[in-house]
Amino acid sequence: MQATQVRPAPTAVHFPALDMLRSERNLVGVHIASALIALTVGIFMGPFQAFHRAPAFVNTFLGQIPVFSYYYQAVTVHGVMLALFFTTLFIVGFSYFVTQRSLQRQIKGIQFAWLGYALMVIGLSLMVFTLANDVQRSAVLYTFYPPMIAPAIFYIGLVLLVVGSWIAAFLVFWTYNAWRKEHPGERAPLAVFAIIVNYLMWFISSLAVAIEVLFMLLPASLGWIQTTDPQLARVLFWFFGHPLVYFWLIPAYVSWYTMLPKQAGGRLFSDPLARVAFIMLLLFSIPVGVHHLYADPGVSQVAKFVHAFLTFIVAVPSFMTAFNIGASLEIASRNNGGRGFQGFIFRQRWGDPVVAAQLVGMLLFLAGGITGLMNASAQINITLHNTSWVVGHFHTTLAGGVTMTFFGILYWLLPLLRGRALFSRKVALGQAFTWLVGMVIFGFSMGEAGLNGAPRRADLANSPYMTPEAALWLNGAAIGGMILFVSVALLFVNLIGTLFFSARPVEGDAPIQTKVDIALPAILERWRVWIAIVVVLCAIAWGPVIAEALDFTNGFNAIPYTPSGAPLR
Amino acid sequence: MHIDRYERYWLIAVAATLGAFFAALVATLVVFGVSLPSPAGRVDPQNLEASEFAEPNVRNIGGNRYEAHIVARMWQFDAGPEAGSPPKIRLPAGSEITFYLTSRDILHGFQIQYHTINMEVIPGQVSRATVKFDRPGVYQIVCNHYCGAGHAVMYGEVIVE
Repeated sequence: MQATQVRPAPTAVHFPALDMLRSERNLVGVHIASALIALTVGIFMGPFQAFHRAPAFVNTFLGQIPVFSYYYQAVTVHGVMLALFFTTLFIVGFSYFVTQRSLQRQIKGIQFAWLGYALMVIGLSLMVFTLANDVQRSAVLYTFYPPMIAPAIFYIGLVLLVVGSWIAAFLVFWTYNAWRKEHPGERAPLAVFAIIVNYLMWFISSLAVAIEVLFMLLPASLGWIQTTDPQLARVLFWFFGHPLVYFWLIPAYVSWYTMLPKQAGGRLFSDPLARVAFIMLLLFSIPVGVHHLYADPGVSQVAKFVHAFLTFIVAVPSFMTAFNIGASLEIASRNNGGRGFQGFIFRQRWGDPVVAAQLVGMLLFLAGGITGLMNASAQINITLHNTSWVVGHFHTTLAGGVTMTFFGILYWLLPLLRGRALFSRKVALGQAFTWLVGMVIFGFSMGEAGLNGAPRRADLANSPYMTPEAALWLNGAAIGGMILFVSVALLFVNLIGTLFFSARPVEGDAPIQTKVDIALPAILERWRVWIAIVVVLCAIAWGPVIAEALDFTNGFNAIPYTPSGAPLR
Repeated sequence: MHIDRYERYWLIAVAATLGAFFAALVATLVVFGVSLPSPAGRVDPQNLEASEFAEPNVRNIGGNRYEAHIVARMWQFDAGPEAGSPPKIRLPAGSEITFYLTSRDILHGFQIQYHTINMEVIPGQVSRATVKFDRPGVYQIVCNHYCGAGHAVMYGEVIVE
């Protein structure tokens, strides 16, 4: 090799259609693999919680498996592993893949991506360690509200996860900037546009929870401070908590908007309106969090109604998505030979697990979205708040729409990563449809149980306040949980089968769009403008709430406690 | 930017629907007076003896109107010696009662089954809500916010006679 040879620019990297670059396979692969580990740990806690809450099951074998008698510990593991670690690791890996494939360009500073991964995996390890090692004190659930305080390792694990995701966010911003300099005047592909939106929203909102953890919870758990302000902590948490659910949802939307139309046999109906929807999510996902605090005593009624109003606005981009994806699916069905008025519903590729999983996700998300609007309706919320209704809603969104879409992504991404075809399409289809049935039964039952007075997050099978109606529906939820457990088993057949036993070569390309061939207004990618609007909206919507919650005279007098009931030493 | 005709109709329908929903919330608040919990004062959780919660109780404040001061702690509601533990609050049908709650230790919840009263109970804050009991019966008070090991047995009863 001659010394004068010019190194090829990183943009010259060719991304093979059916194979992966080694760097790509390693980086994306480890994120997905770690996400699946978190999924495995978390998902096993699910059905046993359902059994433990169901009066008909709690005193049988299923409710009495000793390790699952730690009900609140199981809830904590379930939430932390699935809602925090599985989602974040999967989203970071998927976002790297989509960014570099769409931009046809390697991630800038890929060595830092490994640093970010290392932080997240150390965070995961510390979290698993403390959940297993300190089961009593770490049972603070994944919302970790003070004055209940967990061991310091719990918070350190969370901090490492979030810092790792920040590194990933900044690497994507950096890559996108470099791409823009290399492609003046071009518009970013929709998938990258959405990922930028997602990471911007994630970074801004997670600053609040970082403040909560670093200045309130971690010092309290280390014994550096003796008091805390629970109302302020709840305000800071929910500044972050609602954008968090959009952080999970937007990658699923990326798949629905930019991948599913092609996979279903059509094309996206409207790219510009998809971008408008994403910008609306960026602007309105943060100034709505008080709808989680409707029942809180320390937040004024004015703020509650302002956030209720803004919550109805943030529903608009999801309605836009429903139309846009619906129209795209109609195009696909007409291409597939669908005729007539209802043809577009049935003439889908239900036999393709990648498509079917996402359609199942959408059906569940429909229920999640509608129940979400009910929750947002301030006074109705008073009958639903902290009941198992909320758990039903939450599962149809996160464990329905988002997770089934992630499984749909896994059904093409895992074969690409492994270089072998999916182990069994039939098992994958079985997984998708059992998940649909199980989650419908589970979600509906939890909703009904909640309306009949069953609180969420309570080990209540033998509780004195159990009503006969709630008992009936909690038993229904356990049956839903059982079906979901079968579905999980089918998922693992394909995960293990594809990794170790699949013999056929991979077929089908990564469904990635690399070029934008329509004219788009430049304002859509003027990020400084959007960030400025986000800051202003947050200041208006959250400034008064935070100011009201700050209470130096009394609020800071609450003493940190542990879940076992003892004041923290 | 091109917007399809049907998509425009859809957006108008969505805006109208959501607008109607929000108008219903405001109407419920303004016309029917169904409000959410809002700030009702603060107390020092370590010095409740010097506050309105020094002696938790349920009392009649004239006619069919009642007032209850209840302190939540791990893992019971203290509504005074008369109500007992777990508290049993006896009210004649048709009573309207305003609950004032605070917490001595960590977060708790306060919900009465089949009635529209549901509050977070937070140390340092006073939670307040009013509810009317029309039909006789026994209604369970549920702590609906996770408060540690004994959470599921933290309850009370309202007995409407």
